[in-house]
Amino acid sequence: MSKQSDSEPFILFELAGTTYGVRSRFVQQVEMVEHVTPVPNASDAVEGVVFARGQVVPALNLRVRFGFEKAPFDLRSRLIVVNTGGRVVGMIVDTAREFLSIPAAAIGAPPEALTGLSGKYLEGIATLDRRLVLILNLDEVIDIANTQTVVDGEPEAA
Amino acid sequence: MSTSDPDNSSEFFAQFLDDYYAECDEHLTLVRRNLLALEAQVGQAQVEQALLDELFRSFHTLKGISAMVGLSAAEQLAHHMESYLRALRQSETILSAEGVEALIAGASTLEQVVAARRNELPLPGITAVVARLEAVASDFSSKSAQDALTDDAGGKGLEPDGAKAEAGARDAVTGATARTWRVEFVPTPALAERGVNVNSVRARLQEIGELVQAKPQVRGKGEIAFLFVVVTDADESVFASWGIENLTFAPVEETATAGSPTLPSETAAAQEPEPGGAPGTEPVPQSRMLAPSNVVRVDLARLDELMRMIGELVISRARLEGHLGRLKKSVSAAEWRALQETSLAMGRQLRDLREGVMRVRMVQVGEIFERMQFVVRDLARESGKRITLELLGRETEIDKFLVERMTDPLMHLVRNAVSHGLETADERVAQGKAAEGKLTLRAAAVGESVLIEIADDGRGIDKGRVAARAQAKGLIGEREALDDAALLELICAPGFSTRDEADRGSGRGVGMDVVRNTVEELGGRISLETESGKGTRFTVELPLTLAIAEALIVSVDGQKFAVPQSAVQEVIEVETSAVKALENNEIIPYRGGVLPLVRLARLFELNDVRERAAFHVFVIGSGSSALGVAVDRIIGQREIVVRGISDPLVQVAGIAGATELGDERVVLILDVAALRQSAANR
Repeated sequence: MSKQSDSEPFILFELAGTTYGVRSRFVQQVEMVEHVTPVPNASDAVEGVVFARGQVVPALNLRVRFGFEKAPFDLRSRLIVVNTGGRVVGMIVDTAREFLSIPAAAIGAPPEALTGLSGKYLEGIATLDRRLVLILNLDEVIDIANTQTVVDGEPEAA
Repeated sequence: MSTSDPDNSSEFFAQFLDDYYAECDEHLTLVRRNLLALEAQVGQAQVEQALLDELFRSFHTLKGISAMVGLSAAEQLAHHMESYLRALRQSETILSAEGVEALIAGASTLEQVVAARRNELPLPGITAVVARLEAVASDFSSKSAQDALTDDAGGKGLEPDGAKAEAGARDAVTGATARTWRVEFVPTPALAERGVNVNSVRARLQEIGELVQAKPQVRGKGEIAFLFVVVTDADESVFASWGIENLTFAPVEETATAGSPTLPSETAAAQEPEPGGAPGTEPVPQSRMLAPSNVVRVDLARLDELMRMIGELVISRARLEGHLGRLKKSVSAAEWRALQETSLAMGRQLRDLREGVMRVRMVQVGEIFERMQFVVRDLARESGKRITLELLGRETEIDKFLVERMTDPLMHLVRNAVSHGLETADERVAQGKAAEGKLTLRAAAVGESVLIEIADDGRGIDKGRVAARAQAKGLIGEREALDDAALLELICAPGFSTRDEADRGSGRGVGMDVVRNTVEELGGRISLETESGKGTRFTVELPLTLAIAEALIVSVDGQKFAVPQSAVQEVIEVETSAVKALENNEIIPYRGGVLPLVRLARLFELNDVRERAAFHVFVIGSGSSALGVAVDRIIGQREIVVRGISDPLVQVAGIAGATELGDERVVLILDVAALRQSAANR
């Protein structure tokens, strides 16, 4: 029933044990995390800035963004640079190495029961062979208005 | 004939249209400038001939190219203005104020017509303007009425009267051997690759004779042909000799449309008999109108690319210098010296190259000023106010990119000055001021910046009203004294406007907040001076060098930052013991007085290492506004490539941009003005 054209390629990454997906057409590049320059007085979720393709790009620490405990960067950490809505922003994640085509039919809306801000950052949830992939709503993730750290699912002023 | 592909043709035509718009822009800029100069000569017995000639040529060209793209409203306007200019050149009339007004209205309307076509909007009406132009043109002899009947038939003598021989040849063309030809040209991509396009064909035709008519014709399957009617006494072998495929020609026998009968009478009446004009010899190349001038039109994007490449070169050279430094131990002294010399020479050459490219990007501020002249006229007329516009320093050059970004904000400031700042003649006289309000636009290059001032001698900004409105919005407390800086902050707050009605003059689209944001995004500053009853002045300061700057590299808490050299007055070493505390502030003895100190570590919430015996300070500002910024260490001076930081996630106060010192790590560039602000707010 699902035609080839209804499948879209995604880049998958892991964050605190959960798998997330980003539509690959928004992904400009995936790099190792190196040389992040901290920016004074920027919000907590902003790790700093890096150079990506000659451009100065902010690097969001997604763990902080989603209210998880901060973890030190290691060789598996990755910076996923996305380009959407005229903005180029990097997201630091635990690991990222899978490409997957996900059929549109497999993506369902996030359940109402997801409380707090987490629901806001999700566009949908894909179910594939008993595997769950949370599809990110990129625009919300990089929206500056959301620069508040999440604690126990409740927003706390940064 | 091969333009079978309709997509090809429409793409071709689109490119052709782009060229047309670009050419119109150029000519209209020239027209604007010349019309302003012309206005100054109204009523003079003798009007500068060169001015009239240039205006005539501009309108003539505008007419021709507009016909080529089939924009007949523009063609007609240009034609009428050209006719009036022709009459003026031939001293058949004295330049009158109404004449200049009509020309200005004509040029404005022409601009609007082209813009409307470009944006695919309905064209504005031109009948009123055309009537005005006809009225001033028909103030005199009936010759010009005859002109109006035939298209371009009477056009001649496009060069100043000095070029007699040329004029003679032109006259000769209209002699007995002249014939009218209908020439048809169908462009193809293959021909275009060889440089043969409608413009080159048109140029050739004008070389050999008088181009009477030119218009495009859309044929089936999206094919486009261009039809020309040319009067020439050249033999028909001339056409064949060009070797252009898709060029067909045929003689035209009707005399009426070609206008040949009128040509001789025009010639006889208005031109002195030419002694030496050799009749119908070689085609005389037309000089100024179509001659490729020594000017090249360049896409700004290409210049941006050049600047970027130079930026990369600067970084590479820095890396090279780093490597060389490490080589010093491994090579002989003589070799190392030679390497050093070459590296230094490269540095010098790079700097020259950079400056050269920057110069290419520079245009005169006058471009913006001239546009404002027209806006001010319109606004003044609408509001019934009398306004003199004084333009100073229009030759000041600024980067083209700045011109593009600053045009709207500056326009907004000018509109504000006219609408809100300047009073009506009656109000002014009642106050003992001159009836005419004065608006001054001034541009000057100061050090590494360009200063643009917009000043009026009107009523000044009503502080009371602004304060009241700000209080109502909860922006300030009661009874807060407002100095000019605070006033500026308030009026630049988003959504703040002291007018309840959005009048046409201002208050819509661009607001003061956008003005300030634009200025700051360009790395500049805006300041305000205003005095009740006396006037208001806005000063915009913009950095000249957008991309590359000298910077001081400093270190705080192990992190490096770059400080624009132009902002640094001095660097000093300070002993911790010399620092005195005064309430919340720290000061050090400095040049016989004291210098307030602010610690960068504190401003940026970094670790402030206090145990050092000494630390470094760079001084910004001067005199009573000097401020010392304390860092751990000043590392050195470097030439840096400035990169913008535009994402809102990392736009913080105190950071103006970012750069890289050759190791692919981002180094943040400090915003000195904001530092000062933060220090003040602590």
